[in-house]
Amino acid sequence: MKGGAWGIYIALYFWLAAMGGGAFLISLSLKDRGTKVLGAWLALIGIVAGALLLIADLGEPMRFWHLLAGIHPVSVMWLGSVVLALSGIGLFWLIISKEWPDWLVWTTAILVLLVVGYTGVLLMATARPFWSGSPLLPWIFLASAYTTGSALLVLFGSHSEKLAKLSFAFAVIEILLVAAHMIWTYSGAKDAITAAISGNLAWAFWGFVVVGVLIPLYMEAQKKALALAALLVLLGGFLLRYFIVYAGQVDVMRF
Amino acid sequence: MPKANDYAILFDASHCTGCRACQVACKQWNDLPGEATENWGSYENPPSLSSETWLRMKFTDGMLNNEVFWDFTRDACMHCSSAACVESCPTGAVNYREGGIVTVDQDWCIGCRNCVQACPYDAIHFSEQMGVVQKCTLCYDRVSNGLEPACVKSCPTGALHSGTYAEMKKAAEERLQSLKAAGYKDANIYGLNEMGGTHVLYVLLKHPSTYGLPVGLSKESSKVATGWLSAGIAAAVLGFAGVKWLSDRREEVGGGS
Ligand code: SF4
Ligand code: SF4
Ligand code: SF4
Repeated sequence: MKGGAWGIYIALYFWLAAMGGGAFLISLSLKDRGTKVLGAWLALIGIVAGALLLIADLGEPMRFWHLLAGIHPVSVMWLGSVVLALSGIGLFWLIISKEWPDWLVWTTAILVLLVVGYTGVLLMATARPFWSGSPLLPWIFLASAYTTGSALLVLFGSHSEKLAKLSFAFAVIEILLVAAHMIWTYSGAKDAITAAISGNLAWAFWGFVVVGVLIPLYMEAQKKALALAALLVLLGGFLLRYFIVYAGQVDVMRF
Repeated sequence: MPKANDYAILFDASHCTGCRACQVACKQWNDLPGEATENWGSYENPPSLSSETWLRMKFTDGMLNNEVFWDFTRDACMHCSSAACVESCPTGAVNYREGGIVTVDQDWCIGCRNCVQACPYDAIHFSEQMGVVQKCTLCYDRVSNGLEPACVKSCPTGALHSGTYAEMKKAAEERLQSLKAAGYKDANIYGLNEMGGTHVLYVLLKHPSTYGLPVGLSKESSKVATGWLSAGIAAAVLGFAGVKWLSDRREEVGGGS
């Protein structure tokens, strides 16, 4: 993309890492081991796929190792790369272990939480008013990690009804947070918000609201086709990342 | 804060005629190609900085107190002392060099564009062809050999000066005094406090925002601190809500599938 904006790869990466990470975090509060292992697999796949997208998005992909070798802890992206790598190791370790020692579960859980959370901090620490104008992006990304993570577990047939309920509860929290974020940033980021509500990103924003939240909520209330509702929630999670990533840059994607 | 002997540039808006000699000189010295642009209703051209335009003159016009104004200001890297590009860069490729100059090590940069998102002056840009970012170097290759930056050298009106930070700051203060004495009561110096103090200082006749310059900037480090704090609270609150919801239903949920 001209001017080097962050685009579809970044949106996909945020989505995959948060979805897998959310599934793992939620599976940890469940009893059965099968779901926990499934959660760890989903998180590992999400994080590895996300990391590959991140590397493919670089201007010099073969230099990806500079991300760690540069050792620059003040940079959110450097810290993010470190926790991304460490969480992958932790998850892999869990998957190959028969016993899950508490310290390893906790450490991995915290690393996965950091992977989800840092993406919000990364966008906040920029000069883009739509991303940095409110402190709510980490909240939105975390809520969405739970929404999409539990929907993903539902799709894999685990504890469908209860997890679907959890997913939809977080979807409601998430949409309230998105509304609060848009009101909070409105004065500094009018262009971004106009693009989302009625401009060229309206399909993604309204797609998130209607297809990703309202229709699944309705289906849940009707107790209909939970799997389909869960699938729509996942799609909504992507549309959310897409509109946030692109709306933040409407002012600079000019020529 | 910049150190007294750091390299610095002074731009004096009260002398600038918007001739853009500096803009062209920068292109020539740094071997940067021209850009094909379209008329968009202003003499300002190109409409923004890019990986191939490291300096341009910003034109602002309109009505103020029933008078037409047409003002010119410099738009290029400010060589900040607390530079958002440096602090956001995961690899350390863009960094402070000798004399407070901020430059990109293009053999180490990975083209992640985090610096592009972080710079409050929109002064650093990604080159599609090169796969890395580039921007104004404060003509490091010239000043370290005792020459003036190309843009300063080319300025025909005396709006651009270069020297040590202490000299430029003194010159700015003197110019400010004489402008105030001449009745320009809103005259001011821009860059003394922005982003930890910048190595490019501006003398302006009006409030910086009338020239389209950002005011009230927060440093990268405080944005990062707010971000982590907010993420921590979010993790505690939302994490607790989720765990509680599940553990309240643990028997139902954990029971079977
Ligand atoms: S103006 Fe932008 S690119 Fe230049 S030093 Fe400051 S933050 Fe970096
Ligand atoms: S694009 Fe290059 S200079 Fe900019 S943050 Fe990434 S590695 Fe650093
Ligand atoms: S100091 Fe050199 S690189 Fe920077 S704007 Fe002037 S001519 Fe261009």
